[in-house]
Amino acid sequence: MPWDKVYRLYSELQQYVGWTEDDARRVGAISVLIEPHVAALIDDFYAEIDRHPQARKVITGGAEQIARLKQTLRGWLHDLVSGRYDQDYVSRRWRVGFRHVEIGLAQVFTNAALSRLRRGLLQTLDGVWNGDFAELLATRQSLNLLLDLDLAIIENAYQTEFRLRQQRSDRLATIGQVAGGVAHELRNPLNVVQTSIYYLMHTPTPNPEKVRQHLERIERQIGLADRVIAALSDFARLPVPELKPVSAPETMKEVLELNPLPEQIAVALDFPADLPPMLGDARQLQIVFSNLIRNARDAMLPKGGSLTITAEPMDGEVAVMIADTGVGIPPESLERIMEPLYSTKARGIGLGLAITRSIIDKHGGRLQVASEQGVGSRFTVSLPSAGGAK
Amino acid sequence: MTKEAPRLLVVDDEVDTCANLSDILTDLGYRVDVAYDGLSALELVQQNAYDVALLDLKMPGMDGLELYRRIKQVQAGTVAIVVTAYASSNTANEALAAGAWKILPKPVDLSKLLALVGEAVGQPIVLIVDDDHDLCQSLWDLFRERGYRVCLAHDPPDAAERLKQRAHDVVMIDMKLPQGSGADVFRLVRRANPQARTVLITGLRGEMEQLVEQTLAEGADAACYKPFDVPALLETLENLTKHE
Repeated sequence: MPWDKVYRLYSELQQYVGWTEDDARRVGAISVLIEPHVAALIDDFYAEIDRHPQARKVITGGAEQIARLKQTLRGWLHDLVSGRYDQDYVSRRWRVGFRHVEIGLAQVFTNAALSRLRRGLLQTLDGVWNGDFAELLATRQSLNLLLDLDLAIIENAYQTEFRLRQQRSDRLATIGQVAGGVAHELRNPLNVVQTSIYYLMHTPTPNPEKVRQHLERIERQIGLADRVIAALSDFARLPVPELKPVSAPETMKEVLELNPLPEQIAVALDFPADLPPMLGDARQLQIVFSNLIRNARDAMLPKGGSLTITAEPMDGEVAVMIADTGVGIPPESLERIMEPLYSTKARGIGLGLAITRSIIDKHGGRLQVASEQGVGSRFTVSLPSAGGAK
Repeated sequence: MTKEAPRLLVVDDEVDTCANLSDILTDLGYRVDVAYDGLSALELVQQNAYDVALLDLKMPGMDGLELYRRIKQVQAGTVAIVVTAYASSNTANEALAAGAWKILPKPVDLSKLLALVGEAVGQPIVLIVDDDHDLCQSLWDLFRERGYRVCLAHDPPDAAERLKQRAHDVVMIDMKLPQGSGADVFRLVRRANPQARTVLITGLRGEMEQLVEQTLAEGADAACYKPFDVPALLETLENLTKHE
């Protein structure tokens, strides 16, 4: 956890609400006044929790846990009126927010709880105050500011942790979905292998040409199955990219060598001489461009067509365009093609584009697509340029 | 009971799958055509009356469900067996609801598939000639469930076409049709397929009485009156196909 970042945020908020050293001094001064009444405040707090089933159900450890929680609250109150609000203080407050997500308490209760404590504190303060009235008002003001800042930090921690968990859960769900899709897709190559074997075992008229055909078929399908499995592995394990300057024309050349195109597809490349390098992970960018080129190829088979790859520098970025003259993508599919399982090719499971998008995201880039049915599609990959802003 | 080998259509966007099924089924004496997408499949169906169609579900463009719905409109008598990697999906269930006979998962259990194909081509074929489309669909469902293959025609020219495409076991003829009468169709059947048994159907008992009597005298096998006594109708059908 980058505590310095969190503390910086807190300092900004302090400035925003108008917090000064005087506020800190005032709150610190009431510590000795509040101390004798802390126990009563804490008992009241937990008595209230007891009355609310929603809040109560997160306390699963019975009397023992409540005793521990009361101790924690005591410490929290102690820190509150300590007069010292440094990085240490802020990081402890943050942990409170995080903890509440962990135990599964709804955020509304954190807010309501703080409100109740605020009320109790102010009432206590009013009751024990023995100085002048103006100073009381100023002190109340300081205490309120402090509690507002506390609430902001706790909420921020809560939301950050919550979002992280949500992302993790979404990711697991996606992997689950994808695994399901993979399981289904593997049945196709297995089906071919099985039927070829059946034929080879049962045919009354085995001729060498037919046998050879079937064996080649089996080999081909095993290759396809392996690709599906590899796609799933890639998807599950996309590593953090190692960012270095990468030449777009060179990458494209490698990719075209790895993915040779049939002769009915004409390939045109156009890269300006002064094109800056892209900032990215060479191997992952290879995956991105391989995927887009394979999709372009598939859209143009079996008739053929032309594949045009161009690039241009734009404002601190390098934009690479891959355009085909294939079947195009129907409008209702344009949104959906980025989802992992969607595929108009029965034999792909659509992981390709999802992986592509994921890699581009992690590079801090963008993927855009324009398409017209019967005319073709153009995918644009924008990545930060290694040369810095132009 | 056709003297020629039964005709099968295999549709799957995976070329190798089509090739394998074609090899295996051709070895067994069937005539097999293949198609890799819905549109090509429909073109073939327009030209040939297939006994059985083996359909993949998930294909680019037209999927297997949509394809079957269209095949049924062109050739109601073609039995569809869906062979798919997605056998437990909603689409598979919808295919059954639309009239597909069986769903088989991939990788396919070939002994099961071959047994089903064998069973399908052995099922008696009934041609229903009636201009009431709803009645035709109801009878289709009713008879299909009982293991008959059901072809449909809605007027005499349509019926003539159908009679050319297959050798039906039973032809059920509505006596009152647009562009002609049931009696005309009866004579058509006699000429095109003398072996076929015939059942005259009508809802207008009084009005059609004479015509029905006359046609029965010419050799029609039975008459059934609408609204149907369903068990009796089914029994009639069974009796007429029992010699299979």
